[in-house]
Amino acid sequence: MPDVTINGQKLQVEPGTTILQAAESLGLAIPTFCYIKRLPPLASCRMCLVEIEGQRRLQPACATAVADGMVVRTESELIAETRSSMLDMLLANHPLDCPICDKGGECELQDMVMAYGPRESRFRDAKRVFHSKDIRLSPVIIMNVNRCVQCQRCVRVCEDVVGAVALGTVDKGMDTAVTGFEGSLASCDQCGNCVEVCPVGALMSFPYRYKSRPWDLVETDTVCPHCGTGCQLTVGTRKGEFKRIRSKWDAGLNGELLCARGRFGLDFVEAKDRVKRPMIRRDGELAPVSWDEAGAHLRRCLDAVRGKPSGGVASPRLPNEVLYQFQKLMRTAFRTNSMDCSSRWSTPVDALRPLLGEFLTRAPLDDLTRSDRVLVVGGNVTEENPVTDYLLRDAVRQGRTGLLMLSARPSRLEADARAVLRVEPGGEASGLAAVAAALVAEAAAGDAGRLAAELAAAARVSVLVSADVLRPPTAETTLRHLGHLLRRLAALDKGPAFQFLFDRANQLGAWDLGVLPDVLPGLGAVRDDAVRNRFAEAWHAPIPAESGHGLDGMLDLCAGGRMGAFYVVQSDILAAYPDRDLAARALGSAELLIVQDTFLSETAALAEIVLPAAGYGEEAGTFTNGEGRAQALGKFREPAFEARDNLAIFDFVAAQGDHPWRPQRTDEVRDEIARMVMAYDGLAGKPPAADGAFTSSDPVPEGAAELPALPPAELPRGGLLLVTGNGLFHNGYLSERSSILNTIAPDPYVELSAADAERLGFAEGDRLLVRSAAGEVAVALKINRRFPDGLVFIPENYRDLRLNSLLRRGEYPCPVEVIRAPVRSPVAPSV
Amino acid sequence: MSPPSDMRAEIEAAAARYPDRRSAIMPALLIAQRLHGHLPGQVLEEVADILGVERIWVYELATFYTLFHTEPVGRYHLQLCDNVSCMLCGSEALLAHIETVLGIGKGETTADGLFTLSTVECLGACEMAPVMQVGDDYHGALDIARLDALLTRLRAEAGAAAGATEMAGE
Amino acid sequence: MFEPVLLKNLDRPDAHRLAAYEATGGYRGLARALKEHTPDEVIGIVKAANLRGRGGAGFPTGMKWGFVPKAPGRPKYLCCNADEGEPGTFKDRIIMERDPHQLIEGMAISAYAIGAATAYVYIRGEYVKAIRTLGAAIGEARDKGYLGQNILGSGFDFEMHIHEGAGAYICGEETAMLDSLEGKRAQPRLKPPFPAVEGLYASPTVVNNVETLACVPHILTRGDDWFRDIGPEKSPGPKLYCLSGQVRKPGLYELPMGISLGELVEEHAGGPLSGRRIKAVIPGGVSAPVIPAEGLGVAMDFDSLAAAGSMLGSAGVIVIDDSTCMVKVATRIIEFFHHESCGKCTPCREGLNWVVKVLRRIEAGRGAPDDLDQLRDLCKGIFGNTFCALGDGAAMGLRAALEHYGDEFAAHIDRQKCPFH
Ligand SMILES: Cc1cc2nc3c(=O)[nH]c(=O)nc-3n(C[C@H](O)[C@H](O)[C@H](O)COP(=O)(O)O)c2cc1C
Ligand code: SF4
Ligand code: FES
Repeated sequence: MPDVTINGQKLQVEPGTTILQAAESLGLAIPTFCYIKRLPPLASCRMCLVEIEGQRRLQPACATAVADGMVVRTESELIAETRSSMLDMLLANHPLDCPICDKGGECELQDMVMAYGPRESRFRDAKRVFHSKDIRLSPVIIMNVNRCVQCQRCVRVCEDVVGAVALGTVDKGMDTAVTGFEGSLASCDQCGNCVEVCPVGALMSFPYRYKSRPWDLVETDTVCPHCGTGCQLTVGTRKGEFKRIRSKWDAGLNGELLCARGRFGLDFVEAKDRVKRPMIRRDGELAPVSWDEAGAHLRRCLDAVRGKPSGGVASPRLPNEVLYQFQKLMRTAFRTNSMDCSSRWSTPVDALRPLLGEFLTRAPLDDLTRSDRVLVVGGNVTEENPVTDYLLRDAVRQGRTGLLMLSARPSRLEADARAVLRVEPGGEASGLAAVAAALVAEAAAGDAGRLAAELAAAARVSVLVSADVLRPPTAETTLRHLGHLLRRLAALDKGPAFQFLFDRANQLGAWDLGVLPDVLPGLGAVRDDAVRNRFAEAWHAPIPAESGHGLDGMLDLCAGGRMGAFYVVQSDILAAYPDRDLAARALGSAELLIVQDTFLSETAALAEIVLPAAGYGEEAGTFTNGEGRAQALGKFREPAFEARDNLAIFDFVAAQGDHPWRPQRTDEVRDEIARMVMAYDGLAGKPPAADGAFTSSDPVPEGAAELPALPPAELPRGGLLLVTGNGLFHNGYLSERSSILNTIAPDPYVELSAADAERLGFAEGDRLLVRSAAGEVAVALKINRRFPDGLVFIPENYRDLRLNSLLRRGEYPCPVEVIRAPVRSPVAPSV
Repeated sequence: MSPPSDMRAEIEAAAARYPDRRSAIMPALLIAQRLHGHLPGQVLEEVADILGVERIWVYELATFYTLFHTEPVGRYHLQLCDNVSCMLCGSEALLAHIETVLGIGKGETTADGLFTLSTVECLGACEMAPVMQVGDDYHGALDIARLDALLTRLRAEAGAAAGATEMAGE
Repeated sequence: MFEPVLLKNLDRPDAHRLAAYEATGGYRGLARALKEHTPDEVIGIVKAANLRGRGGAGFPTGMKWGFVPKAPGRPKYLCCNADEGEPGTFKDRIIMERDPHQLIEGMAISAYAIGAATAYVYIRGEYVKAIRTLGAAIGEARDKGYLGQNILGSGFDFEMHIHEGAGAYICGEETAMLDSLEGKRAQPRLKPPFPAVEGLYASPTVVNNVETLACVPHILTRGDDWFRDIGPEKSPGPKLYCLSGQVRKPGLYELPMGISLGELVEEHAGGPLSGRRIKAVIPGGVSAPVIPAEGLGVAMDFDSLAAAGSMLGSAGVIVIDDSTCMVKVATRIIEFFHHESCGKCTPCREGLNWVVKVLRRIEAGRGAPDDLDQLRDLCKGIFGNTFCALGDGAAMGLRAALEHYGDEFAAHIDRQKCPFH
């Protein structure tokens, strides 16, 4: 290990350490512009030049590796002069429009000039002006070329991390300008990471433009609600009004990175379709009433359904504390274990629970991406968990790991993969089975064989599985095959680490805390007396001993007219359940449909009683992301109108019955969780710190036995098969209420392979009808050159499209035909 | 507009010389510019599609290198060297002369689309300074008389070519 | 009397044809290398000859080849730097237009020495004639079996391709050239890793200038001691000098290394135009600091010119006489560097822009009293701090102009006009 002396201090560093890193470890600051931690050094800004004994010239600290015996000085008259000179040159052509620059007050150039700059510049010639007007590169990104300092951070992040390769650099020398193809970023990912990494006010967020001065913002650290990656971010509000999002850089798994949804999609908090007051059904219509009136009505209704089965669904986007109280309320007040935490599937608990207990790895994704190979299964990580995609790409490009992918839906990340196994839509189970078989076969051919060979050659393997595999009716089989593969990897000493990639922010929390029909918080079985008694004692109420129903079962009960109270919290079943007809019938037939929601969802519109609930940002709590990291949610505004905290509403509902129920605040619930659920004991006493608190895996007692190889699921073959999921810019419910995301991606689309499109005679943008046995929808065509033939994809996140009207329970992937939509008669030209 | 089939073939032939198709962007742009005269966005897209590379990469190169033109240029691109050796041998006077004779300044094209005038950095032919490149050819040891003769010849050549196409059209 | 080596066939109209080349001993060096020597021996011979790179920096060629890892694995590449953008330089063009087989043979030998199977000749796009001539010559050589598979029955396979540049001086900088070859904007790369270890497509790569490579066949046929005996011991060999500017007989001259600048200008190139006196000479392309008339005694080799505060560079000798304003020359030179700055690093991109603005102002008679200090400070800020040598070249040149011709600058500022007008 090389020894180095910096400013007289000696230290030893790992080979390859740069002077900048070594200095940082000594707490010595060296100014930089072009350097950012995540990227290989560019060494172009020349701010970080330092003296190395024996070298004629100053050397860039960011790019110079420490050599043994090196003697470095980071402060000297020459260095100070050089820094000042670099800044003077940068300032020469830099417009001094700080007072109207969005970056003013948090600009690295400003800060640097204050710290190291010339006191006054001698530059007296005319400044260069590229464009007097800022250039609107995309709906959310605007560029002031004059302010650019050419650090290339934006271009490098866009290409090497985001993988969009949308930004580039045109022209050369003084005319160099960062821009998109032909001056547009209209078709990029709109992640805004370029804006985030820009040290000056060159790339700017259009929605935030001229909205505030940084010092006028109240900033609240919190966690993104849009997917299970669980990025940390900072919300800026002014007088309670939402203004912007920025990254936190030094906390969370994401650092400076966010995706379009996280960076631009949080304005949904201002959406207009709030439930403002409680509502009850009068003469078939929902009528706003006071909380008291709603309470009286609820009491009457609950009396009327007494003795009938009840059940509930809570959204996996709710905080842990809310979810925990919800299941407690269902189990103690409603005396049922019937509950679920998805509006899209019945959670296959039996197959899931052993996987979670045996293999789920609660550790930073960064650890997982340091194993030799990462296998990503199912879904489309690029679109569903964009920041996970960025982090994976980064890990691959920096040589930390090799990527293997297995899915029906192709993704951009595959360009960086060492092996790709494309499976039939819904065919993940057979894919996993083929890989598991190839892993022990003598010689295996084909993509599965190649993928298995890569796994076999690795010392350590991580497996990331999209929660998308839970969609098809074959989910249970898929999970069992997954378990089988993981066990085989374990047997081969690959120490497989395993995590899910969730499209809902707190899916793991919802599972952990037992919003499931047959397990209690901590995933202990309801039927297990010891487990059940422990909770019954703590809650001072009996808990039904028999398992309840999951989502499918509850909807069957509803549809059969046998369900009494059906309690839905922030879940839009009608919009999301993959059988719209069934969902509509069921919700319409529940005797008492109680909907607690922030927004007036389609489901809420069918309710007997609607209770206005605090939305995201209006109550504190924690989310558990896919890594198993519990992170604190910040509260940045008060519940709007007459909405109440979700916890307070549970208290309110409980109070209408005659059950033992102790009202609790968020922190009390959190402490109870920490007490009752071993995995969450790190949450005791305080909200998780800046980097979150990792939950631990409670060992689940059963299921460790080697499963027999299972027959792969039957697949519908031939023809066009529709799968659905999340698109890049939306993941339903919340994002569809973001007006910014809606300007980026206003219209639903259908993706087809180029060959299918050509065979059917369609061109990009054509309006098509996608028709199934159950219904049809009209959408515009997007040709996806990566798509295999036969695959049809429509994002599920456009409420008005009613995509689920195509689907029937148990029939997924869904066979469809695609035809040209009838031309609407053109408006007659005015004469 | 689908790319002329020989453009695709030529680009493919160029790409075969490199282990990485991105390397063929430059040759492809030279080919495309020869066929299209200049490189508008649509041509850049075609080049990107043929090579299967990112569009922005193609755009970057089309703007970085001075021999690529994203805007149309005249039939004869007069590229007068004004670097030191040529300057020492009188290129400034030549520039002034062309500007007067053609009535255009640097970077401009004559109304008839015949001539575009540019000054360029050293052409690597200083032994015959002052030098001007027109199309593929270098014209060295220029003075006002030789310059006038050259312009006259180019005009005549263009006229003859125009006549020829007219005749062919009849 | 010095016998021309590289230009010996210059007067033959068919010198660019294979037959003529063979008739004067061409491709015998290649044959000898392949049949009589191992690659390591070839490197040894070039080392012994002490051939130093003719592209500008004068780096010992054999040593550079020796850096290429011997281990098989990644393919190795040879790149010929025929970008020749240094103002005042035209030697490589003339080799390629008139006697291209010298280059092809030199490249085949070099590729054999370093174990490369593929080479690219990066020729600036303006050199249409050179591109065509070299292209045709490559075809001839391939037909005759000097290129391609199993060359001369030796088992050595080697193919070369021309890569046309598209107008950017920075492509002459070897790492920028590699980026350009990879289809990127031509911007210099960080070193280390050096190209010999990680160059084109991250593979070991040697970049050599046209003239450097053209010397190689002659060394192989005539021996390293023959080469070493020409010119000074530390930078020996025949050398092409490009004479241009205000001189009676501009042109390309082949003479030994180490000839005096005065002899070159006064005797070979015929001295100043009638009625003029030589004021200054730029000895090695505009990156090389100007040498005032008093310094013409300096020997034209890498070390002597460096000692004199200038450099041999590309041996583009530009003669400036007393009718010329040095502020104007300096301004034009900095304008060139400013125009050709790739834009990557701050001091070159921004600093030269600033310098150009000040110089133009001074030349136009609007200079301010502290402008010269400002220029000196800017030179200080730029020199040594740029990413590649382009910015250095610009700053060095300006510094020398200010040092030797400060009075001309001052006169512009005092009189608020150019004294030469
Ligand atoms: C700005 C800049 C421009 C250069 N231009 C050229 C050039 O046009 N031709 C050339 O051969 N070398 C040029 N060089 C030198 C090359 O980087 C490199 O040193 C040379 O090609 C190596 O070949 P050699 O060892 O045979 O001299 C340039 C260097 C710099 C910094
Ligand atoms: S000195 Fe800097 S900007 Fe100039 S050419 Fe070199 S790298 Fe580019
Ligand atoms: S941070 Fe080192 S050169 Fe920019």
